[in-house]
Amino acid sequence: MRDDCRSAESFYLYLEGELGPSERRGLEAHLETCPSCRGVLAERRLLYEAFTSLPPFEVPPNFALSVMDRLPEPAAAGPRWLAALASGLTALVVGLLGFYLLTGESLPDVLVAVGRSFSSGFGRLLPLFAKLLKVGGLLLDVASGFVTMLGKGLVALLSALGPEGIGLILGLGLLMSLLFFFGAKRLLSLGEKS
Amino acid sequence: MAEDSTLVAQALKGDRKAFEMIVRKYEQPMTNYLSRMTGEREAALDFTQEVFIKVYCSLGSYRPAYKFSTWLFKIASNHLIDHWRKKKLPTLSLDQPVDDDEGSLTPQVPDPGPSVARKFELAEIRQKIERALGFLPTALRELFVLRHVNEFSYEEIADIKSLPVGTVKNRVFQAKEMLRKRMEGL
Repeated sequence: MRDDCRSAESFYLYLEGELGPSERRGLEAHLETCPSCRGVLAERRLLYEAFTSLPPFEVPPNFALSVMDRLPEPAAAGPRWLAALASGLTALVVGLLGFYLLTGESLPDVLVAVGRSFSSGFGRLLPLFAKLLKVGGLLLDVASGFVTMLGKGLVALLSALGPEGIGLILGLGLLMSLLFFFGAKRLLSLGEKS
Repeated sequence: MAEDSTLVAQALKGDRKAFEMIVRKYEQPMTNYLSRMTGEREAALDFTQEVFIKVYCSLGSYRPAYKFSTWLFKIASNHLIDHWRKKKLPTLSLDQPVDDDEGSLTPQVPDPGPSVARKFELAEIRQKIERALGFLPTALRELFVLRHVNEFSYEEIADIKSLPVGTVKNRVFQAKEMLRKRMEGL
């Protein structure tokens, strides 16, 4: 055995094609001049062939059907959008109920405030939108890279959250919007009725 | 055959035929894996059934961004661990050093001793491997089976077992060398 002889692990990785190009060339060059390592490689090659050709387990022909017979009812795997919708609505209802209990304001008041705030806010924001459109091209160029990156991040986040998580966030988002507009109503017309 | 993610989507919509196709596709690799892990034919079939039922009930949590076979074998591996934990069978932590009867396994240099492999024909070697597998610690046996019976890449095994790729490579090597030593005595 020489000092530059390779480890047994290297031979396995070589046989599996897991060595990098330079490592592989180095090992092959060593093998040309080292009978001891050639013997070790031949032995590991035979073992490797046996490792990778172990006989398959015999599966009964009706095995898949026996699995299918034992599956629970399809209801266990119900439509996913239903779970998302349910969690979103639950978040909204619980939030509104809590809001009503805390402030005493009724839901119709909140909705009226939302409607008026939308129409009033839209009228105020229209000139601003017109100005933004003029510089929109420039802004789009600058922001396109950022938006692409943000989009990818959002897709990854939504994928990680799953439909129930998305539903929950949408429900909470809607609730926060309602609360925001209800606060805004005091600055607008609804506050004048008292 | 349809893509796994397509079959999963169809199964989630209630298409049982799609799930049956998944079972048919993976029943062979799954029983290959579980038979080597349990060492018993009937137990392997029972485990395979239980794993597929677990998979069916968990389909909603599958994310198509991940490879389905990796996810499937992760469930199977966790199912085995749960079973052994309940039965309180000894399992080997991957953080512990692996020793066999002859001491620590660090065969890093070519072994000039008598060749084991040359003594036997390939078929006989396979029989010996099957018998020697039963002597391997379960953690090493599992990695060996995933790599050489189920032909997962080292990266996929690292995903299934939540281990670094380097650790998986080293443990698979240790398993092979431990098998080789065991075969000498069979």
